[in-house]
Amino acid sequence: MCDVARDPAALELLRVQRSRLADRMRPPWWYLSGVAILWALVFACPFSSRFLPQGVRIWPILVAGAALACLLQWGLARATGIAVATRTLRYPAGRPARITMIVVSFAALVTETFLIRHGLIVAAIVVAALAVVAEVAAQQANLRGIRQDLRAGGGAA
Amino acid sequence: MTAKPDPLIHPITRLSICGLLAAGADWLEFAALRDAAGISDSVLSKQSRVLEDAGYVEVRKGAVGRRPRTWFRLTAEGRQAVEGHLAWLAQLEEAFSASTRDVRQARPLPGDRDQPRRVLPPLLGRA
Repeated sequence: MCDVARDPAALELLRVQRSRLADRMRPPWWYLSGVAILWALVFACPFSSRFLPQGVRIWPILVAGAALACLLQWGLARATGIAVATRTLRYPAGRPARITMIVVSFAALVTETFLIRHGLIVAAIVVAALAVVAEVAAQQANLRGIRQDLRAGGGAA
Repeated sequence: MTAKPDPLIHPITRLSICGLLAAGADWLEFAALRDAAGISDSVLSKQSRVLEDAGYVEVRKGAVGRRPRTWFRLTAEGRQAVEGHLAWLAQLEEAFSASTRDVRQARPLPGDRDQPRRVLPPLLGRA
């Protein structure tokens, strides 16, 4: 077996291998579609109070959304062979994208609620659609950040 | 974290496995690890067994349909050892590049024969 102490290229080899690993972390086509559906469900919530028929509750939709999120993460891990930490702020390069996602979601939900209260339904739908696009873009940036951290080994706990 | 060599992760194959597991992923699947490290199934199986026995790697086995799936991740002890070893290697690399730089600087330019020759620093690992 090769002894790395005499081989200064060992770290270089590891960098190449990590880069190869990071390249695997590309989401399949259905992942981003699923993310878009998930966020569409979230941004449809403010409309529920006004448009859902009497007796239909919102929480089954939220449970379905949470289940979809878990399913997407599981599917991504299965497809790429890389399970990333989702409950931590481990990946520093993806952190701005994750913060953006939180800020956009709060801002969009507040704006939608405000517009619906004032009867501006079309404007609220436009805001929701734009927010979905922004969230998908932020998720792509997040995955790019995770790839960058895997490449640099910066995602270590 | 102290930079210190670990004889268990010193061989290049185990270093690759551990280095990839320490890259930041929570769990890595067998095929992903094998492809990234550029090693065969049997080598990965053998070396991961060694690392698992040493308590450096945690192995989770499952199956999707009839296909077995094996996932790996570093234990806390393994992560500490890998980080120490990588820091030690980084120090070696730095020392190596510094010595190479010194050799380049010490080498006289053509036609500069009056310059006194400096003793070349020993190559890494031979000291």
